[in-house]
Amino acid sequence: MTFEFAICLAVMFGLAGIGAPIAYAILIGAFAYLAAAGQGIGIAGKVLMDGMYNSFILLAVPLFIVAANIMNAGTISDRLLSFCVALVGRFRGGLGHVNVVASLIFSGMSGSAVADAAGIGKIIIQMMTKTGQYPRGYAAAITAASATIGPIIPPSIPMVLYALVSNTSIGYLFLGGIVPGLIMGVVLMAMNAVLARRRGFALEAPVPLAELPRRTANAFPALLMPAILLYGIYGGVTTPTEAAAVAAFYALVLSALFYRALSLRALFDILVDSARSSAAVGLVIGGALILNYVVASENIPGLLAVHLTGLDVSPVGFMLGVMLVLLVLGCVLDATTIILVIIPLFLPAARELGIDLVHFGVVAVINCMIGLITPPYGILLFVINAVTRIPLSEIIGEIWPFLGVLLIALLWLALAPGVVLWLPRMFGYAGG
Amino acid sequence: MTPLATLRTLAQAVAAAFMALMFLTFVLQIAVRYLARVEGLAQAVPLFDPSRYGWTLEFCLLLWVWLVFWGNAFVVRPRDHVTFDILYLAVRPSVRRWFAIIAGLAICIGLIVSIGPTWEKFHILRLKKTATLSQVFGDWIRMRDIYSVYFLFLAVVGARYGWAVWRAFRHGVDDPEHGA
Repeated sequence: MTFEFAICLAVMFGLAGIGAPIAYAILIGAFAYLAAAGQGIGIAGKVLMDGMYNSFILLAVPLFIVAANIMNAGTISDRLLSFCVALVGRFRGGLGHVNVVASLIFSGMSGSAVADAAGIGKIIIQMMTKTGQYPRGYAAAITAASATIGPIIPPSIPMVLYALVSNTSIGYLFLGGIVPGLIMGVVLMAMNAVLARRRGFALEAPVPLAELPRRTANAFPALLMPAILLYGIYGGVTTPTEAAAVAAFYALVLSALFYRALSLRALFDILVDSARSSAAVGLVIGGALILNYVVASENIPGLLAVHLTGLDVSPVGFMLGVMLVLLVLGCVLDATTIILVIIPLFLPAARELGIDLVHFGVVAVINCMIGLITPPYGILLFVINAVTRIPLSEIIGEIWPFLGVLLIALLWLALAPGVVLWLPRMFGYAGG
Repeated sequence: MTPLATLRTLAQAVAAAFMALMFLTFVLQIAVRYLARVEGLAQAVPLFDPSRYGWTLEFCLLLWVWLVFWGNAFVVRPRDHVTFDILYLAVRPSVRRWFAIIAGLAICIGLIVSIGPTWEKFHILRLKKTATLSQVFGDWIRMRDIYSVYFLFLAVVGARYGWAVWRAFRHGVDDPEHGA
């Protein structure tokens, strides 16, 4: 490690450690690096702006954020929920199942775990705790756990970011997420069924089957959304970025014209909120672009790859090692930072070891999402705590069984590339 | 409304407009591509001629860059940022105040100091034409005009952190709360 890189790390970690926004900590760290290396700190701005201005794929990020916010503000989430209640609410632990199924469907539209938890999650927690059938910690915990599915099933903002740093096809990444997302849903529902039986959660009054067609019809336009998106991307109608715009447009038309649940004032607020989140995420992306420049000039990923191949690590050992690192980091860093800053370090080594980068990406993103609910520091836990005021300690107390089954699912997916790559191969993916 | 609140609403409206424009440009781009498949439409209605719409992609990138830097200058609040706050929340308020002052000073000084060298670095871009945006804005537009929002960002955010340091120095920092 060179002297200037040591300074860069010291400044960056120092500032981030005392609570400066990560993006600014990276920016100032890069300034320190360039100044120490005698390169002139203006380069940072050049790298940042060129990177942002040339990454067409990044445009999907603000568009998916808009789409998710529109769906949360309109009544789309409520309609989906009442459909899910009619569908799986009759079983023991019914609302828990509803929670998972709603996340599975909703995740086909939003692309963000936080949007899932804050939107549909908040409503369903209210339903679960209204008459005291479920302990509130349990309701919050299963909501947090099922929200992790959001960015696994396409569309997915974290996968867009991974595609950016790894140069893999975003279409195949999206396809690769579908089966793992369904598996995560299944294991969560299984755990919910076991817990509901053991703890004897009360049964819901079943919705008469005669109600089902009406509720389906009511939710049908919203249920079409994932189908439209997937057809758009895989039918070659739109690029994945354009599909994000189509999703937002469709959500807007549904909420404003079809369901008539969106005022102009609300639309303005949605746009401002979306602009705000996009700008905050965008700055972290910009910071990551500069950091990747610094890391590349120091040839860190190459050195790491040489070092690891020198150690004679097997691909399986490497995969497990990286997963462990990501899980530990996930306890303290957020998913965006991990994907943009940490994962690029491992990519050359993964390529060297013959690990398929689509498989690696899907597993890494699942890893980061599980990190969002790993105590003590999980963004999803905080979001649910903030929107429902359920104490963190109660949520954390109930999260362990769900965390456990998700980790088992993750382990399986990491060791079985065929499961992840099955669908991409059906659509002509040649790698792996 | 106080003048400051009016300005804030205005800045938000600008950010919302960037967002809406980006969205509409995308929709336009898709629509034009599909209308181009209709035989003879481009000849009949010159407005639908796809060759008029080569600029949509770069225009969206322009909006994206402006959205990010305009947004961080005027719309993003401190609590919207991604931060690592375990330590920040754990320490005593008096220490937290010093954390805020040190971090704020580093950001303020770093951003302001970088304005000059960055301006020199971007100097050459005053000559570089954009790929397609002349179609929209006319022939005068250069890459430096597009990147100019970065200087606005450096100056405004630098000033904002300077102000925050001053407040932390005089009055201490507010009790933090875990927001969404």
